Amino acid sequence: MILPVLQWVQNVGVFSDLRSSAYVYSVILALHLSAISLFAGMILVTDLRLLGWTLNRYPIAGVVDRLRVLKRIGFILAASCGFLLFCSKAEEYFYNPFFRMKLILFALVALHALVFRGSVYNRALELDLAPRVPTRAKVAAWLSLAIWIGILIAGRAIGYVPGRSGMHYL
Amino acid sequence: MLAANPLNSSSLVFPILECFHIAGFAVAIGTVAIVDFRLLDLGLRDQTPAQLSGGTSLWMLGGLIVAVFSGLLLFSTDPDMYYLNWSFLIKMVCLVLAVVFNYTIHAKVVASSASPGAYRLVAWISLALWISIIFGGIFIASVRSGLG
Repeated sequence: MILPVLQWVQNVGVFSDLRSSAYVYSVILALHLSAISLFAGMILVTDLRLLGWTLNRYPIAGVVDRLRVLKRIGFILAASCGFLLFCSKAEEYFYNPFFRMKLILFALVALHALVFRGSVYNRALELDLAPRVPTRAKVAAWLSLAIWIGILIAGRAIGYVPGRSGMHYL
Repeated sequence: MLAANPLNSSSLVFPILECFHIAGFAVAIGTVAIVDFRLLDLGLRDQTPAQLSGGTSLWMLGGLIVAVFSGLLLFSTDPDMYYLNWSFLIKMVCLVLAVVFNYTIHAKVVASSASPGAYRLVAWISLALWISIIFGGIFIASVRSGLG
């Protein structure tokens, strides 16, 4: 049932144009990576602050709260570009094992948020008052770093699976 | 051929190096962006740009070193192709400009209490320079596949 939908999506005018224009495709891909870089900085600084490896003199609450909105914007930008790339070759991505792995890792991101938002990120003030950063906050930071690095690797690997119309990008 | 590059002996080496390259530049550009966003009065506004730069500069340098060294290794797998690729050459020019700008004008303005206008100008130049490197890198592949 999903396959006809994907085939229909990738044959919508805009998306088939995107597929056949190497330049527009590359621009979207570059925007995808640019958004990822900006987003990565914010994820990294948040996690490193929880681990006590950067900006130690300043409260965790300030770092977590002040980056929240920008982080969301960065994620939406990266995801929108990613969605456009997906739509241009929907069927190929669907069969790509690394794309599937990437989707599973995104599900883990959601799960991570579900588990740790209530106990860590929304309780940053408590973390600051504790004599040392609680283990659960450090676990949250390590898991976040691990999942995002996994997403980066899966994302790069997608391009190495030969599709029906040849390799995506080397 | 004088000697075979050992990096070309396995098809896994290139993608693994690419992952290090991407992770390295994401850390470098991401941490510079934290400071640049602050110059634009966004994000970590509780700290001064100088404080943020002080907290992130080592991470930035670490990311940059990983990106440059993995990049050198990637380059070594097919130097002729890269050298003749106009997108690669533009990327190198942007890289030099970004690094020089970062450790001269950018560092000076971040350390000073310049006007908001100066802050904004420096932040936009910095973001534009770093992001142009990413564009240069991506377009190496499209130029390479004969579309340049």
